[in-house]
Amino acid sequence: MYIDPHIHVVSRTTDDYEAMRKAGIVAIIEPAFWLGQPRTEVGSFKDYFSTLVGWERFRASQFGIVHYCTMGLNSKEANNIPLAEQVMELLPLYVGKEGVVAIGEIGYDDQTEAEDRFYRLQLELAKEVNLPVLIHTPHRDKRKGTIRSMDVAEEHGLDPKMVIVDHNNEETVKEVLYRGYYAGFTIYPHTKMGSERMVEIVKQYGPERIIVNSAADWGISDPLAVPKTADLMRKSGIPEEHVRLTTYQNALTAFGQSGQMDEQDWLNAPPLDQTKKMSGNSVLRGGQTPRVEGSSDFVEN
Amino acid sequence: MDKGIENSNMFYQLLAESCEEKSLKWIQIQAEKIENSTEPNALFLAFSQASRYFKKETCSPSSTFEAKLQTQYANLEVSYWTLLQIARTYLVLKLPFEKEKWFKTINQLFETGDLYEQQALFAALPVLPFQKELIPRAIDGLRTNISLVFDAIALNNPFPATYFPEANWNQMVLKAIFMQRPLYRIQKLESRRNLALADIARDFAHERWAAGRDVMPELWRLIVPFVNESFQKDLEKVLATDDLLQVKAAVLAIQESDFLPAKTLIEKYPEIVKGIQKGEVTWESIGSEFQRTRV
Repeated sequence: MYIDPHIHVVSRTTDDYEAMRKAGIVAIIEPAFWLGQPRTEVGSFKDYFSTLVGWERFRASQFGIVHYCTMGLNSKEANNIPLAEQVMELLPLYVGKEGVVAIGEIGYDDQTEAEDRFYRLQLELAKEVNLPVLIHTPHRDKRKGTIRSMDVAEEHGLDPKMVIVDHNNEETVKEVLYRGYYAGFTIYPHTKMGSERMVEIVKQYGPERIIVNSAADWGISDPLAVPKTADLMRKSGIPEEHVRLTTYQNALTAFGQSGQMDEQDWLNAPPLDQTKKMSGNSVLRGGQTPRVEGSSDFVEN
Repeated sequence: MDKGIENSNMFYQLLAESCEEKSLKWIQIQAEKIENSTEPNALFLAFSQASRYFKKETCSPSSTFEAKLQTQYANLEVSYWTLLQIARTYLVLKLPFEKEKWFKTINQLFETGDLYEQQALFAALPVLPFQKELIPRAIDGLRTNISLVFDAIALNNPFPATYFPEANWNQMVLKAIFMQRPLYRIQKLESRRNLALADIARDFAHERWAAGRDVMPELWRLIVPFVNESFQKDLEKVLATDDLLQVKAAVLAIQESDFLPAKTLIEKYPEIVKGIQKGEVTWESIGSEFQRTRV
């Protein structure tokens, strides 16, 4: 069993869902993020947030995958200040909903003043509703941005155990773990981590508070990054318990602090509801049966 | 006292029958906040967070209680609701019935609802104020492809039969067929049968046959008052299948119809006719067997 605690499934096809289930992914978390292109109206955010708690959750359930999400205003779009202010007014409507396991992805992109302002406001929101925080660390000037994210979180009195710092690499992991945060690693070709580098990190730092995810989205990315990395860990002689912690249990422990994510949600899930699946809805049309195919066996760096 | 608030207390009693003290205390505090607040946030927060206190188990009201509820809300079937739905309904009814403000808040709830929140809101339509103004909301809700939400409107809910114009009613029933939902759970399905719907249903059956697919047997219930020579040909075709469930549906349709020339067709099925007379072969038994074994 695997959990992929960071994947943007609104951008993925049903083939992906089938392959994920076949590979053993039982639960996923979809962080609210941008969509590749900036939104210009608050209504776009409203419909996106509603999709995360509505249609996408239903879509995932049809493939036997339990879908959770995080809610937040991402750092890129925080730079459109009038819009960001409206999104902040919208967030209280969503953060208390069932299956919302964190405030996120929030943090810095270009590390502007506006990003800082909305990051701080959302840290306060997280404290108010007692949810964990998922931090997106920047692509550029990453090390400084990561450290600043943690400094500011501490300034606002957040407990590092309630914060998952995501998209780590060899340059950031040491400090993130040392300061008591969960450290997310995104196996994403070309821009983030590859499976082989991930194996080395688990060898070096052990499994504690390390979480592997795919962050698969609309770009060239791999929704099977978590199971593929787990396989590579096994082949590289990493103990099974360490594999389990980094690709399943740590994510559950971290996001489970929300009170909104429970192992029983998938262990005791009702069997795939064929009523819903075949006819009650319509991701499968008129007599289609799910097709299962594999693709390549590793994530390239 | 406001009628809505007074009635909402019946929903509280339903919760009181089967929920923990902690949850009841929580919801009472929330209800008070909603009643006394001028901002919608109290309702928004409580409405979402109700899932932390109430389970998605169907509530089982005593029959006397359900009858009492039905004196207020005709044909309301709360035995199909979950405790979470009842809790959410109770909270929504605490919102003061000031029309403009009420719609602003309720629209926001509908538009931002998760799966189960939408289920609660749509199933609760018959107990909400401003019924007629809610008709477009119900019709729009049926556009969903999420069966949970579709069912909340279409099944065991008196709202569509009471308020839908014929065209919207027909679209709902057709979509229920398309989604293979149990038609016998649509209230007043028989009394709202009409020729246009019978024609649409038949066209749908022809399309299925052309594609080499089966037809949901409950569909034939819709044509009963309109059986003529042309519909009779379709029923003959159903009788010619070797699927007993389909055959039962055709026999039942002919048995219930007033079109005498068709009656000879069912002479070959004395066992089924006997079953019909004994009340063992009904649209409900056919529909539920179909749901159980075919869908």
